[in-house]
Amino acid sequence: MTELKNKKHTNVQAALSIAAGALLGTGAVSEQAKAQSFDDWKIDSAFLFYSEADRVSAAEAIISATKLYDNDEILNLKFTADTLTGASANGAIVQPQAQTFTRPSGIGQYITQAGETPLDDTFKDTRVQLNAQWTQPIAENYTGSVGGHLSKEYDYLSLGINANLAVDFYKKNSTLSFGFSHFQDTFTPEGGIPKPHASMLIGDSDSPTWDEAFSATRIANSDDKQTTDLLLGFTQVINRRMITQFNYSYSKVQGYLTDPFKIVSVLDSQGVAQDYIYEQRPNKRNKQSSFAQTKYHFPASLANSILDLSYRYMWDDWQIKSHTLDTRLYIPVADIFGENSYIQPHVRFYQQGAAEFYQPYTSTEDIQQEPLKYVSADYRIGEMTAITLGAKYGFNLDNGNDFSIRLEYYQQTPTNAGFEEPSALSTLTVYPIVQAVILQVSYSFL
Amino acid sequence: MNRAFNINAQQQGYKITFFAMASPCEVLVQSNDLVLINRLADKVTDEVWRIEDKYSRYKKDSVCSLMNNSAGRSITIDNESFLLLNFAKQCYQLSEGLFDITSGVLNRVWCFDGSDNIASHQQIEPLLPLIGLDKVCYQQNSITVPKGMSLDFGGIAKEYAVDRCIILAKAITKCPILVNLGGDLAVTGPRRENQPWQVAIEALESTDECFDNKDMIVTLFEGALATSGDSKRYLYKDGKRYSHVLNPITGWPIEQAPRSITVLSPQCIQAGMLATMALLQGRGAEAFLAEQEITYWLRKS
Repeated sequence: MTELKNKKHTNVQAALSIAAGALLGTGAVSEQAKAQSFDDWKIDSAFLFYSEADRVSAAEAIISATKLYDNDEILNLKFTADTLTGASANGAIVQPQAQTFTRPSGIGQYITQAGETPLDDTFKDTRVQLNAQWTQPIAENYTGSVGGHLSKEYDYLSLGINANLAVDFYKKNSTLSFGFSHFQDTFTPEGGIPKPHASMLIGDSDSPTWDEAFSATRIANSDDKQTTDLLLGFTQVINRRMITQFNYSYSKVQGYLTDPFKIVSVLDSQGVAQDYIYEQRPNKRNKQSSFAQTKYHFPASLANSILDLSYRYMWDDWQIKSHTLDTRLYIPVADIFGENSYIQPHVRFYQQGAAEFYQPYTSTEDIQQEPLKYVSADYRIGEMTAITLGAKYGFNLDNGNDFSIRLEYYQQTPTNAGFEEPSALSTLTVYPIVQAVILQVSYSFL
Repeated sequence: MNRAFNINAQQQGYKITFFAMASPCEVLVQSNDLVLINRLADKVTDEVWRIEDKYSRYKKDSVCSLMNNSAGRSITIDNESFLLLNFAKQCYQLSEGLFDITSGVLNRVWCFDGSDNIASHQQIEPLLPLIGLDKVCYQQNSITVPKGMSLDFGGIAKEYAVDRCIILAKAITKCPILVNLGGDLAVTGPRRENQPWQVAIEALESTDECFDNKDMIVTLFEGALATSGDSKRYLYKDGKRYSHVLNPITGWPIEQAPRSITVLSPQCIQAGMLATMALLQGRGAEAFLAEQEITYWLRKS
């Protein structure tokens, strides 16, 4: 057995190189047994538009850069910027007459017309977010990952760290993963932190006594909260067509969990608003969730499509329980629209029970009888169902880059969790439906 | 014909195995993304089986059979066939007629089954006029194969399929991939951490005259390996071993050719052709290889 290298030139090898290049359409390939490293950045970018009918609109830009290093180490940097404008429900209930509210800043007022859901239309925010994640093999079958998170809004700062460990076994057909993350958030809302249950001050904000009276409804300039999440995950390859995943997560949140912009209407026995008080939520929340997902790759006779089905059950000590059923079907349509193109219909169903302290309104009677502890009329922690219907279309460009577009319709339907409706509200829409459209355009390149 | 593939988890990534072109085939992918693995498996096997169906001379409906059964009439060909014919023609010219895809007619009289069944001159002579790629006329869209002649793409189809698979795989992913079709193989690049692929080149069967029967391990960072020569296909008479490699000009086996030659090249089709052309040089194989600026491994008889 001999390995020989020779320096003398002849033309057979060179001519073959040209002939092979012509046959394969690659041109003559001259390099040989050359070392190649993976030092290119892969860039993913996405632009998302979210628009609720008559309410909030959001625009978001995401740029994610991933670099794979020689030792299987992966660095991912993600930058997100989003801007939110429009009107958001302030928690007060609809009334048969116009209602006047003070803006959260304490400067100026806004009026909601009779029969309309009260919306604070000064909602405006810009947020920038930076995430960095480093992943690397630690030992045979062990992969570790650490990351940092920074998010800044005009009135909000969030700092976070996370660490994950994945262990592969059974020839990598099974993976057990453990995750930990901790977030430290500081909220500095305009107008300060309102005093729970204090009445919203309504009147002439130009009056000389206004500032003093308004600050009497405030308890602080800022407050904070801490979130700790633990995750236990198990992924199992069932066979070459099927992969399943199970996750359990536990989340402990402590601190200021109240929404400083939300109020609760105080109604008289006929249902007419007498007052608006600032909401209060517990300063602790323990949340748990179980998640199961399966992906199934159908054979060529079913167009090589991939079904992705998942279910999540979430429950917490606020007594909120929710079910999420999510299904996507990835259908390659290379025959119709070219190489690597696909369409992916998406259907998601969500059902949520109300928090134990949720109530759409309170009454003058209730307030006098026993002092309220926790109360919120925020429909987002009330009873509701939501459905998402949409589709994504993606394809490869000639230069190998990926492009995709996603269009979805989202509808939230709040429902009555068994509260009586006073007579004044009988002809009004107490639980308005929220409809939204989501458009996302993504582009990935190397 | 079993047109199925299997996917098995490996130490680092997955192995796709299937059977094509009369050989066991495998694709190694250094990734744990099963969706990607399935997509690659579909793409690669589709391509290999497509090439097999199109250029096998054993399949009645193949383009190759269509050409061979055209009875001297002109038939239409597509661009891929035109490019393959061009490549074969260039190899024919570069080898001064030694590599010839029309030489398959000699198989009617030569059967390399390990016996002493040597063909006679009387059998060979009438076949020689039916050999010579220069007698086949082809253009961009058409070909005329003279009556009695036939084409055999067997000497280039497998290597061509390897290169096609590498091109397809690179378009799908940057993950390191090795495509091995019955011993002719190529990689998309080094494995992660800039590690080479370890490739075993199968040992010859042990014979009295050859004790060197260990598998040869080659480390491959980039490029392709192809091997020509075969231990199992030969004739043996009067103490003389007749290799299965035939000289299309004389119709007789090439004498004193190495048992096998493995060549490293940027693309598999080049590697395969250099190995085959070297083998066709007989005792001059080593000299031919030495004149090329290539890395090669050679097993002598």
